[in-house]
Amino acid sequence: MKLFEYQAKEVFVQAGIAVPKALLADSVESVAAAAESIGYPCMLKSQMLMGGRGNKGLIPRVSSQAQARSEAQRLFRGEYSIKKILVEEAVDIQQELYLSVTVDPLAAEGVVICSAEGGVEIEQLAVENPEKILTEPFDMVRGLQSFQVKDLSYRLMPSTEATKQIQKVITALYQIFTSYDAELAEINPLFITASGQVIAGDGKLMIDENSMHRQKRFERTRDYYESDMEFEAAQAGIPYLQFDGDISLMCAGAGLTTTVYDLINYEGGSIANYLEFGGPNYRKAYEAMELCLRNDSKVILVVTFGTIARADVMAEGIVDAALRLKADRPIVTCIRGTGEQEAAQTLKAAGFEPMFDTEEAVRKAVALAKGAGRP
Amino acid sequence: MSIFLDRDTRVLIQGMTGNEGSFWAQHMIELGTQVIAGVTPGKEGELIHDRPIYHSVRRAVRNHDVDAAILFVPPRFTRDAVLEAIDSGIRKIVTIADGIPLHEMVEIRASAKAAGAMVVGGNTSGVISPGEAMMGMFPYWIERVYAPGKIGIMTRSGSLTNEVTAMVVRAGFGVSTLVGVGGDPVPGTRFAEMLPLYEADKKTEALVIIGELGGSMEEEVAVAMQSGICTKPVVAFLGGRTAPKGKRMGHAGAIVSGGKGTVEGKIKALEAAGGRVAGRPSEVGELLRALLEEREA
Repeated sequence: MKLFEYQAKEVFVQAGIAVPKALLADSVESVAAAAESIGYPCMLKSQMLMGGRGNKGLIPRVSSQAQARSEAQRLFRGEYSIKKILVEEAVDIQQELYLSVTVDPLAAEGVVICSAEGGVEIEQLAVENPEKILTEPFDMVRGLQSFQVKDLSYRLMPSTEATKQIQKVITALYQIFTSYDAELAEINPLFITASGQVIAGDGKLMIDENSMHRQKRFERTRDYYESDMEFEAAQAGIPYLQFDGDISLMCAGAGLTTTVYDLINYEGGSIANYLEFGGPNYRKAYEAMELCLRNDSKVILVVTFGTIARADVMAEGIVDAALRLKADRPIVTCIRGTGEQEAAQTLKAAGFEPMFDTEEAVRKAVALAKGAGRP
Repeated sequence: MSIFLDRDTRVLIQGMTGNEGSFWAQHMIELGTQVIAGVTPGKEGELIHDRPIYHSVRRAVRNHDVDAAILFVPPRFTRDAVLEAIDSGIRKIVTIADGIPLHEMVEIRASAKAAGAMVVGGNTSGVISPGEAMMGMFPYWIERVYAPGKIGIMTRSGSLTNEVTAMVVRAGFGVSTLVGVGGDPVPGTRFAEMLPLYEADKKTEALVIIGELGGSMEEEVAVAMQSGICTKPVVAFLGGRTAPKGKRMGHAGAIVSGGKGTVEGKIKALEAAGGRVAGRPSEVGELLRALLEEREA
C-alpha cells in the first residue's frame, strides 16, 4: 500500500524527521486560508499516488492569495481528480539529496541508498553515473548499526553540521522502514537549507501488502484507487484493473491473466478490464461477472487452468452468473484444470462452447469484439 | 532421475492435519511420494493417511529420518515454521503459503543461506517430478500436463505453469522436475540457484523457464548461461510483454520500476546468452525441438 505524501510526512514527523511547515487542504477556500497562514511564496502540492507530479504541473508555486485560489481551482477541477492539496512553505534550498531504505531481493538484505545529487533525475543518475549512488546493505535480523550510518554519511559528504542531522534522518528512516513493514521508505529530495537544516522535501512510504494485517493504521479508502470499479472490486476482494478496450478479462491466476492480456494485444484486440478470478476468488463468479458487465465491453473472455480453483465449480458459477445477470454479450470460455471434463459438460448443457486452447479462445474473443458489435 | 526430490526422498509435512495439508498429503502419497510423518502442534498421536503426527518438527525427526519438509502453514506463521525445520536439520523446505510478509521472507532467505538450506517458495505450487514424487499442489492426474520426461521447468507462476507445461507435453516432451520458485518479490530460492541442480541431472536435457515482468531472476539465468553454470538449452516464456508500466499486474513481484525488469530487457539478456524466448505458449515446444536438434547436429 502506497501512502500519500502527507501521510508519509506525518510518519516522518513522529519519527523525528523535520519536514517543511505545511497544512493540508481539501477545498479552494481552505487552500487560500492555508496559504495565508503559511506565507508566500508557497507550494501547492497535489496529493496523488502517481509519480511525476512536478513534470505534470501539479506542484505549482504561488505568491499571492489570488494565485493560490486560481491554481487550487485548476488542480481540483483537473483531470487527475485531486482531493487534497498539501500547502507547504517554499524552502530556501542549498542542496538536494536522495535517501531511501528498501529491500534488495537478490542479496536478501536491507539496503540504505543515498546520493548527494537527489531530485527528479535520480533514476537517470543511477544509469549514467552509478558511482554517485551510495549503498549500505544491512542484515535485517541484526538491523542497521550506528557505525554503518556514520560511515555512509561521511561517504556522502564531508563532516559538517548537516552530517550529524543526516545521520539522525537515516536512523529514523530505517526505524520507519522496520516498524511500518515498508517495501520502500524514501525521501527525495532531502533538502539541506541555506541555514544548514536537513528537511524532507517529499515522502514516499510503501507498506508491504502481505503485512497489512499488522499495519492497520491506514484505511484503504476510495482515494487509493484510480477508479470506482477498482475500489468496489477491492472491497469484494477481487484484484481488478480498469482499461478502456473491448474485452473483459475474467482469468484465474496472475501469470496466466498477464499472458492472456499480452495475447489479446498481439491479436490486435483491446482490454476493457483485468480481473483475477482465481485463487480464493474462484467461487465468486457472480461478483466477477457483474463487474465485467458494468464495463462497456463487447465480449467477456474467461480463461483458467486451475489446480485448487476447480474448473467444474468455475463453470457452474459462470453459467449461473450469466443466467442471473442476463449477460448481454458473448462469453468465451476456456476453463481447464481440475474437473475440466465436468466443466465442459456443464458449459455445453448451458449452450456455451467449451474451449481448451487459450490462443484459440483469445482469437475468438478478438474476432467477436471486432465483428458483431453488440448482439 | 530428477532434481530436489525423487521416489526416495523422505518428506515431512508441517500443517498436515489442516484441510489443504491433508488433501494434498493424500495426493502426494498417491503419486508415490514417501510421506513419512506430519507435524501439527497439539495433535501428536493422531494418524493422517496412516502417517503419525507430532507436536513439533524436533519430535518428528527424533523418530524418523527426514530429507525434506513441506509447509501447509498460514503465511503469518511461515517464518516460525521454516526456522523450526532448519533448526531440526532439514535442508530442503518447500513453503506454499501466499502472503508471507516481505521482511520475514528476507529473514527466512538469510537464515536458509546461513544454514546451507534450500527454501522453495512461498506463493508457489511447489515441486514435482512427474511419475515419481511431488511436494506441493499439482494436478498430476491431468496427463496432458504432467507427463514424465527430460525437460526441466522453473516457474514464478501457477496456472500459467499448467498452460505452458501442457504445451511442452503437446509437443511430445515430458517433464523431469518442475520447480515453482513462487511469485513473490523475494523468493526463498531464485531461478539461478536451481541451475546447478539441473546441470548435474542426467535426465534433464533442456530447460523451460516460465517468467514474467519485474525483478531480475531471468537476467540472472542469462548470466549463469554465459558463465557456463548452465550449459543446457534454455527456452523461456515470459508474461507481461505488453503490460503497462508502473501498474502492478498479478504477482507482487511483477512490476516494472525505474526502467528495470522489463520483458524486453529479459528477452535481450536471454537471447544474448544463447537462449530462445517464445512469443506465445504454443511456440515453446517448437523452440525446444529446434534447440535440441541444433545440439545433436
